[in-house]
Amino acid sequence: MSNAPGLLNFKTIFRVSHATRIIQFAESLGVFVLLVIVVAGASILAPGFFTYTNLTNTLITASITAVTGLGMTFAIAMGGFDLSVGSVQVLAAIVAAGLLSMVEPPLAILGALLTGLALGLLNGILISKLGLPAFVVTFGMMSVVRGVALLVTQGQSVMITKHIEFGLLNNGKIFGIPVPFITMMVVFIVLSVLLRDTPFGRHACAIGGNRAAAIVSGINIDRVTIAVFGLVGVTAATSGVMLSSQLMIVDATLGIGFELQAITVSVLGGTSLSGGHGNLVGTVFAALLLATIASALNILKVVPFYQYLALGLLLIFALAIDSARRAFIARSLLSRT
Amino acid sequence: MRSGSHYGIAALGFLTRYYIQSLLVLSVVILAAVNPYFRTAANLQNILLQASFAGIGAAGMTLLIVSGAFDLSVAGLLGLCGVTICELLPSLGLVLTIMASLILGVLSGLLNGLVVTKLRIPAFIATLGMMNIYLALAFIWTQGSRVVSVSEPSFDMLGTGTWLGILPIPFLVMIVTYLLCYGILNRSVYGRHLRAVGSSEIAARTAGLPVDLIRILAFSIVGGCTALAGVFLTAELSSASAIMATGYELTVIAVVVIGGTSLKGGEGTLSGSFTGALFFAVISTALNILNVGAYWQYVVTGVFLISALGVQALRAYVLTAE
Repeated sequence: MSNAPGLLNFKTIFRVSHATRIIQFAESLGVFVLLVIVVAGASILAPGFFTYTNLTNTLITASITAVTGLGMTFAIAMGGFDLSVGSVQVLAAIVAAGLLSMVEPPLAILGALLTGLALGLLNGILISKLGLPAFVVTFGMMSVVRGVALLVTQGQSVMITKHIEFGLLNNGKIFGIPVPFITMMVVFIVLSVLLRDTPFGRHACAIGGNRAAAIVSGINIDRVTIAVFGLVGVTAATSGVMLSSQLMIVDATLGIGFELQAITVSVLGGTSLSGGHGNLVGTVFAALLLATIASALNILKVVPFYQYLALGLLLIFALAIDSARRAFIARSLLSRT
Repeated sequence: MRSGSHYGIAALGFLTRYYIQSLLVLSVVILAAVNPYFRTAANLQNILLQASFAGIGAAGMTLLIVSGAFDLSVAGLLGLCGVTICELLPSLGLVLTIMASLILGVLSGLLNGLVVTKLRIPAFIATLGMMNIYLALAFIWTQGSRVVSVSEPSFDMLGTGTWLGILPIPFLVMIVTYLLCYGILNRSVYGRHLRAVGSSEIAARTAGLPVDLIRILAFSIVGGCTALAGVFLTAELSSASAIMATGYELTVIAVVVIGGTSLKGGEGTLSGSFTGALFFAVISTALNILNVGAYWQYVVTGVFLISALGVQALRAYVLTAE
């Protein structure tokens, strides 16, 4: 078997995955270059950007977005996506803040993460077992979870007064690196390993790449779907915990539009909406890019609404490039036969 | 062979086919029995009024979903149209302002359609991005969520006026809109094309249909309907702001889905959307009367949306079992 040409053996698999890694790095290189340009431009045009405080804040903002973006990338690689992450994030933040007045921080964090996990699993079950389309299910859940958040808080803010060392999750530094960034790196490493080096991750990509082939090859679509959406829920909850640590006072109106940011950084980072592969490195770079743009616009005292505009335009731009690339690939594949 | 399960399937078939009508009748009957205020003419008028805002938007959205696409930008577009009306009304007068708003809606729909078809971006995410853009434009125009008001009696009449003392003008316009859209969907060549594109885009393309043009036109219709709804909402509130219609896209899509139109496209029911709009108005009025918090609306809308999907899945199962 190891010498049969064209059949999958270890050598071929290694070569293919190695080549894939190189291609993906090249794709994320584009975003990286863009990031460098924007950072350079911001440093020149926006006085006060390249200061330690501002860079730290930008890094923290990027990390919060990146964590959910990484989860979303995983879901998009599987061919789905989750519009409810904004609502899950805010509910997790509220749960964390609320629990802190009763229990120790580690338990509060666990409670928030479990909330995200439960909601994500619910999404996954509705989508896989009931066969309902991901878009509408998560769209509906977005509303339901937001409503629950509003009901739980009754429109009031929840302030963290006990265990204020919880704020260290945001302000603390380990070896000079902000803790949120470390959190993001941990999530990045875990998801990278899951996506590339475990059967679970490969199955997720298989489902996204060619669902019919995945079914026929015996992959348990339902189980993978439920697990992936559970994962997205956990990352959204992690972002929520980070957010509540950053603000120390949360209310149910936070996180609106967060799902748009998460999808934007995934697509901008090189993950194609058609599924089949996920570019986690690109997502991180794209999150940094987005945070840099927002920070620079803030310093330049550009009205926040222009940032909405920028986000919308950026998303359309990234999607247009993605579809152009897909069309190019399709054309070049067709022309070979 | 008539067995017990055959009757069961038949009953299930009736229920899933007419579930929205059944739900509407059931909810009205229960609420009228339980709550005295619900039985008043003022309440009925209010329900018809509230139903028309989402209802008018749902008419256009039904056509779009039949063609296989969605438009999530309607909330931002409605805000933008509302703000436009308030800014232009003092200088342009009633008729011209309404025309300007409708043109804005149609052109924005056109833009949505172009982004989806020419840039080949999936509709839901393209329109999600476009919503941000419309919201941003509305924000910028009002310099930050500032509410713009109008005081023009003839304009307010559009929102508060009634015919025969009980039918609100917006509701009458809704009826006309639905008749028009019904004619378009079921009695015109374009309607056939819409359904063809929604059933199988590839087949439609192979058959020579101008798929892109059909889609762009559908998006323009949605834009026009949204602008129309914006006219009446602004008239009722006598003001507008960028975020005046937050959550509108959820309500409109929920109305269409719960009305029975399948999200896969290819077929749609306008009478279902009409009934769905009424049903949602009844439910939200009920929540208000029963003093249930406004926050429950989010939960209820989402739950209805998801369960409506479940019913559709059930109906598909029933159809194959018959």
